[in-house]
Order: sequence, then structure tokens, then C-alpha cells
Amino acid sequence: MEIEKLIKDTFSAHEHDAPDGDVVFAATQQRIHRRRVVSSRPLAIAAGVVALTLAAVAVVALNRSGSTPGDDAQVAVGSTIKAPAGPAIPELSMPFALDWLPDGSAKYVVRRINIGGTAENPDKPVYGGEYTLSVTADGQVLDIDVAELRMMSVDEAAFKSGPGSPVTVDGKRGVESSKSDGPDGYELYVEHPEEGSMYVKVGSGIGSTVPTQQLVEAGRKIAEHITFPGKATVAPLFGLRDLPSGMRICAFEVDEGSAALDAKGGREPNTSYELGSCSTAPPVVVGTNNTNPPKGKPGRPVQGHKTRYVDERGYRTLWVLDAVGSAPVVLAGRVPPSELYDVADHLVLPD
Amino acid sequence: MTDYETFVRALLPRLLRYATMLTGEREQAADLVQDALVKVYRRWSRISEAEYPDRYVVRMVTNGYLSWRHSRAARLIAAGDPPDEMGPDDFASDHALREDMWQRLARLPRRQRAVVVLRYYEQLTDAEIADLLGCAQATVRAHAHRALTTLRDGLTTEHLAQAKEN
Repeated sequence: MEIEKLIKDTFSAHEHDAPDGDVVFAATQQRIHRRRVVSSRPLAIAAGVVALTLAAVAVVALNRSGSTPGDDAQVAVGSTIKAPAGPAIPELSMPFALDWLPDGSAKYVVRRINIGGTAENPDKPVYGGEYTLSVTADGQVLDIDVAELRMMSVDEAAFKSGPGSPVTVDGKRGVESSKSDGPDGYELYVEHPEEGSMYVKVGSGIGSTVPTQQLVEAGRKIAEHITFPGKATVAPLFGLRDLPSGMRICAFEVDEGSAALDAKGGREPNTSYELGSCSTAPPVVVGTNNTNPPKGKPGRPVQGHKTRYVDERGYRTLWVLDAVGSAPVVLAGRVPPSELYDVADHLVLPD
Repeated sequence: MTDYETFVRALLPRLLRYATMLTGEREQAADLVQDALVKVYRRWSRISEAEYPDRYVVRMVTNGYLSWRHSRAARLIAAGDPPDEMGPDDFASDHALREDMWQRLARLPRRQRAVVVLRYYEQLTDAEIADLLGCAQATVRAHAHRALTTLRDGLTTEHLAQAKEN
């Protein structure tokens, strides 16, 4: 019983960590009501054509399986999705590519996460790359999620859509499940060529009703056309270079935004990184921020940009204003302010 | 003020505290709740007619958190080494004891953490948790058992006694 009291006390002690309600409400209202004025960077996709290969033929991306995002971020070169960024911003490599997607225009979020591992095997990355896409065609939206789950075998598959049944996809063993209604749609776990599994989910987007069979066919076909390591790279809104000693990119996320999908909601384009030693939880988060207004006192200018700085019980946030267009880049973590400024000095910002 | 706004403003403090307990991180909690509230707005005509719209939204936040298993929040549970077995002297204060537990909670698998938060922070019964998570009560108990076993690992009897006394 004692541990239960300790747990309750721990939760109570951290109630003050909760975000400010007014700020969150204001940001939510912004997302709901503000019609997005963002440069849409749709990714044209044709049937049978390489879909989210993201990379054109000219890509010379170093895509070593098992390497860290930080390694790749420093060296990847490629020509991919156009971002409002200068050539100095290093592109980021994904560990696999999707060589087929359903017809339509796609909005994407891509992530690569290679932090740490389990206690039993700390060197084995637990998570790999992930693509989250919305493909729109003929007024219907397909939500697609494809992720590397290197820590989870096909035998350990767990479904939200119901019991799984065995399936073979392109000669590889898998388990699939489908639900005709609800957002979970079709789910498939199929063997990863190295270890663990690949997860593919295809569901109907909000307001869309796509027949189950179509979800199943799309999901299987996507799985059949995953290539490793692939040559997919993405162009972030901003980059990082020559990070301070001992600091690497442990994870990144590039979100194209979803303004065109729903004028009432949607997301702004976003790029974020998590920095640290990658053997423990990354202490520094760096990313564009389109929703929360900058707060704090003026800080030291960074690369000619004004800054705001705030220290909330040791959790420090540095806002580099107008860093990506009119959007700020935010650096935050429980680290000394000098470390935040040090990283900020190594941002690679668009012209 | 619209019904939606009235509803959200009343529920928001609780939602934000709940999301903070789930994610363990302020920015992620804010993101999680924002995502849910945007969805609530889009479906407001339906949600507002629900018998318990607040439960519906708590479920949305919970599902949002659980669906992060492949994305943002996944990074945090995967990271970090388990703490070394600590002696009583390592705990200079109650604060250190709770911070150690906070770190232990951060390393729990997401579903286990959700069960722990719903049980010990939201004070829900296992039946209510099962209903919210869409699983059997036995599954809830199994998650709770595993979570408590993990959280106890490395905590000595002295530490637990200290927690009991405080």
C-alpha cells in the first residue's frame, strides 16, 4: 500500500507542471478559427509511381540502418520536398521509403526516432522511422501510418481494430486486422527485414467513409512496396550544424502541415529536433512553434534575431523570433541557459 | 460565450493536469489536449449530446496519448537507463523520493502508465478504467500489477516506509 501513497504524492507534487489553461485555450482557438495562410507544398502522387519516395533520383542520402538521426542529419544530401529553406539546411534521411501510395495528394508527417533502447538491450534502437500521411482523392481522405517497430515482433502484435489473423505479404509473415467503422480501419504488422516488425495502418479520415476492402488492399500494397534502406529524405524548415560537444540529434519530426484538409483546423508546417546524448531522454527540444505566443523577457539576440527567454522552475525556454518566416524557433529543456544559447547559435535558418 | 467554450474552459484545468500526469511533460501535455479540443470542436454537435461529454473528452485525450506509441511520446519512455538500486541515504528529502518515482513512471509502457494515472490520480475504479480503455477489468488489473512491480523494483523497504510515514 505504501507505494500507492508514494505514487499519489508524486502525481500531486507534479500538478504544478500542468500548462497554463488560458494559453492552451488561446492556442486551440487559433487552430480552430484561423484560416491557415501557409504555403501549401502538396506532394503530387500518381498511381504506380513512386509516391512518398520523397527523394528524386538525384538523392545521395546516407541511410545506414541503425545509425542515428544525428549522423544522417549532418551528411544527407538530396532533392526532395520543397521547403522554404536555403541550400545550407541539411536534409534528413529516413530509414525506409514508401514506393507506393494510393492515388491522390498527400500531406505528411515524417519522424525518425532512434533513441536508446530497452534496459536489457540499451544499444538497440527501440523506434525507427515513421510516416503519417493523409491522402486525399475524390473528396475521400485516407489516414495512413507506416512505422518501424524494431522492438516488437509480429508475434507480439496488438490491434486496436480487433483480433488479428495471419497473412503473408510479399513473402513476409504478417498479422492483420480490420474494422470497417471507426478510425482504426486496417492494421498490419509484417516482418521487418532485420528485426521486429513494420506497422501499416490505413483508415478513413474524418468525414470519410472508405470501404473496408479498399483499406485492406491499400494497406497490403503499401506494405509490399516498402524499401530498405530507401533513399527518402525530407527537407526540414530549419537545420542544425556543428552541435556542441556531446550533443547529437536523437530524433526529428518534419510535418508538412495539413492546412488544405480542413480550413477550420489543420496544422502549420513544423520541424522539431530532440538533442542530447541519445543514451538518455534528450534534454533539449528544438522546434518551430506556430501556436503558442512567445513569452518571457527579451534575451540575447541570436543570429540577428530577437529572442525571449523564460525560466519556469528550472525548465527554460528560449524563443528565437521570426526564425522561419514569421514563426519562432523554440528551444527548451532543463538545462542551463548557456546551453540553449549554444544550440541556438548553431541553428541553420532559412534566408 | 458558446457552449463549446464554456464546456472547455470548465474542463480544461483537469484535462491539462491529467495530460501532464500521462505524458510527464508540459509541452506534450499541451499538444495532447490541444489536439483533443480541436477534435471536440469539430464533433461538438455530437459530443454535446452525450450523457457525459467530459468522459468522452477524457477518453479522447487518453486515446490520443495511447496512439502516440509510434510517435512523439514514444521517445520518452524508450529513453533513459533504469536507476541503480538506491540506498536510503540517497534520498535526502521527500522531493527526491517523489522525483525518483516520477522518473520510474516515465519509463512505464504507455498503457500501464495510463492505468496508474487513472487509478491513482483520477481515482477511477478498475471497472471505470476498463470502460474508458475499452478492455476487460482483468486487463486493467494486469497492467496495474505489472506497473506496480516495475515501480517497486529497486525501491527498498526503507524507502517505502519513508513514504508511508510522510
